Amino acid sequence: MRRWLVRRTLQAALTLLIALVLLFLLIHILPGDPLAREGEHALTPEQTEALRARYGLDRPLFGQLAAFLGGLAKGDLGVSIQYGRPVTELLLERLPATALLGGTVLLLNFVLGVWLGVRQAVRKDSREDRWITTLSLAGYATPSFWLGIVLAGFVGVRWRLLPPAGMRDPLGGGTVATAVDILRHLILPALTLSIVSIAGTMRYQRAALLEVLRLPYIVTARAKGLPESMVIWRHAWRNALFPVLTLFGLWLPILVSGSVFVESVFAWPGLGSLAIGAVGNRDYPLLVGAAVLVAAVVVLGTWLSDVAYAVLDPRVRTS
Amino acid sequence: MTRWTLEAWLGAGLAATVMVAGAPRAWAQRASDPARIVILTGGEAAGPVPTLNEGPLGATSNTDVTDQLFLHLAELGPTLVTTGDRGFEPGLARSWTRRDSVTLVFDLDPRATWQDGAPVTAQDVVFTFARARNPALAPSLSRLLRRITSVTAEGERRVVFRYTRPYGEQLYDAVFHTAPLPAHLLAHIPAESLARSAFVQAPVGSGPYRWVRRVAGQFVELEANPRFFLGAPAIRHVFYRLATDPEARMNLLLGGEADAMDNVPPPRTNVDRVNAAGNLRLVPFASSTVGYLLFNQRDPRDTSRPHPILGDRDVRRAIVLALDRHKMVRATFGPTADVPFGPTSPMLWIRRGAPAPARADVAEARRLLAARGWADHDGDGTLDRNGSPLTLRILLTITSATRMQIAQQVQEQLRQIGIRIELEGVEFALYNERRNQGRFDLDFASASQDPSPTGLAQSWSCSGGRNVAQFCDPVVDSLIDAAGIATGNTERAWQAVLQRIEADAPAVFMYAPTFFAVVDRRFGNVRIRPESLWLGLREWTVAGSR
Repeated sequence: MRRWLVRRTLQAALTLLIALVLLFLLIHILPGDPLAREGEHALTPEQTEALRARYGLDRPLFGQLAAFLGGLAKGDLGVSIQYGRPVTELLLERLPATALLGGTVLLLNFVLGVWLGVRQAVRKDSREDRWITTLSLAGYATPSFWLGIVLAGFVGVRWRLLPPAGMRDPLGGGTVATAVDILRHLILPALTLSIVSIAGTMRYQRAALLEVLRLPYIVTARAKGLPESMVIWRHAWRNALFPVLTLFGLWLPILVSGSVFVESVFAWPGLGSLAIGAVGNRDYPLLVGAAVLVAAVVVLGTWLSDVAYAVLDPRVRTS
Repeated sequence: MTRWTLEAWLGAGLAATVMVAGAPRAWAQRASDPARIVILTGGEAAGPVPTLNEGPLGATSNTDVTDQLFLHLAELGPTLVTTGDRGFEPGLARSWTRRDSVTLVFDLDPRATWQDGAPVTAQDVVFTFARARNPALAPSLSRLLRRITSVTAEGERRVVFRYTRPYGEQLYDAVFHTAPLPAHLLAHIPAESLARSAFVQAPVGSGPYRWVRRVAGQFVELEANPRFFLGAPAIRHVFYRLATDPEARMNLLLGGEADAMDNVPPPRTNVDRVNAAGNLRLVPFASSTVGYLLFNQRDPRDTSRPHPILGDRDVRRAIVLALDRHKMVRATFGPTADVPFGPTSPMLWIRRGAPAPARADVAEARRLLAARGWADHDGDGTLDRNGSPLTLRILLTITSATRMQIAQQVQEQLRQIGIRIELEGVEFALYNERRNQGRFDLDFASASQDPSPTGLAQSWSCSGGRNVAQFCDPVVDSLIDAAGIATGNTERAWQAVLQRIEADAPAVFMYAPTFFAVVDRRFGNVRIRPESLWLGLREWTVAGSR
């Protein structure tokens, strides 16, 4: 197990390094100038050159890459062109908001998705199964930005049941009031992301459990007279969890990347909205910093799901 | 039994949601105070400190906050006239006098203090201008202040500005571009380190509002400065709330989560939505924006050569005359924009008294084109000359629905006289890059102008730093120079500049819109100032304030 773990960790580190280099190069190859601005407030060529030197953009691309990797080794991702502040500081400021939204969505996605998937499998072909399938697929087929606009427009503006955007009311005061206020603001964006993503988890869980429920050891368990809930949750569900674990690894990056469009529609102050501004302004240091963070979590997510697989299924680590 | 369980779960979830949704609304209402305002903004105030607001930090979101924290020596008056010494209102300086044509003396108001209680002194002004005039620290600002030769203190309250030569905007240069900084707090910080100092995270100014906090990505909170020497503002708390997406800003406003917004975003139906909300009102103001279709004077493939089509002034004039700009502007903006004469936004004072822009004259456009050899020789509906069709591409950014809408009308109107137009919508960063490199035939630009007409030199003089189309008419240059140093009837001098630019047809000057700020009806004495929208906030009144 230890050798397997070391090998898998080295693989992950190498993947991350390749991803970082590719991301850096691709972002810098993108057409568009971070210092080009429109209108009378545009920079003169002299100002542009001065800023180019300040941000190291006057160096050859591979020189910039070397400087970036050197800085990264020291935990320094450079200074944002748009904000004039260290990228690490900006990312850390926005990370909690994205983690809250992403974490909530992951939680809803997996708790509700697994629970509903199991219910569907147990009640296969029932009216409840058909309804849940229809509704979840409808949600899955709905573009998140559209759903976000509709929810914000109706629930937030027309009916004024929940705040249509933002993370908290600036007028709110007190710890409890602020916490509840954040919760209110969280509902619509979390719901938007969950509605469009929960179907995947449900379908995976349903299919996996149906496969397992057909196996002889389940028949044996039932024949032994075990309660149905024990048969389902203790015997069948554990073995039907693997596909969902894979999904979990793939979904983990949501924790840091969020959904760019949903964050934008709901003015959620996370990394997604920060990144979308960085793309528009070609703020290379910020864009690369955000991409590095996402890449790191993607690699980590995959590594974690592999480790979880190996822990739960010894065949994985011995193969 | 199972169906009931599922419904019970879903019901419980719904009940919890309703509880969370409903309960704190009451708390929020209890906490609400009419003497506070939540202003929506599309950008974050990253460094709201004078002399740092340039380059990427020159965004309006930054300067809006800066202007609440730091008072200028004087402010532009309601006429927005930038020349002479009369059209300004006192700020930190209670008065100003002339010693001679190149020396201006400011007397600071003895009541003026910094928000930490220290008095504002002449040394603060000297310190600030030393920073502002240093090209290494403030390249853009130092260029704007290039005609100031020295700033010196005479005693505690008197500051003397000296200039390279007499010109009409001496006072404007001294008061508009930057506001004084507190030397007693900043002198010990290395000049180049100010941007990374703790001061930027919690600035101490001399203005009507003082800094409270910034919640990253969400809002900046300011509170009224009770010691403000021109009178404590009636609005006690100001929140600049961030929402980068215009639709999210509209939702926050209409959802009752904000009190004010700088401009109603397109489409025009949003104006109706605001009007339908009983608590909101629209406040029109002259925008600093002018939109135009810029003709590239150089060949995009080889900028050392003139543009094969647009290098010809008669062709440019024909395009201007072929377009019914009034019709397009009316269709796009309704009655809230007009066609400008020359590159003049509604805010620019020199547009007053300018002649009406030329009306469409398709027959004259056809005649001009025919005279230059453009005719439909092959009968395909597009004019051609020597086998080359009259085809042009308009570069524009896809983020502007307004420009895209007008560009489509331009395409159709020019098609009717045989000019084929291709629209090339690209994202913002790419658009700016292409534009700066001169890789376009026509550029659909939207410029945000300063109140001073001297800014025109940047885009419309031969050596202008932002003259991306390489338009060059030495007569325009000399007229701009003359207007820039005029001290008497400057308006006439600037009119001559505009008329010459119009005659050269370097662009189709398309629209100059009036913008509409949205403000909650509980605020009175509302004045939106085009040069800095929320600058007048300190004079607003509040109905029902405690």
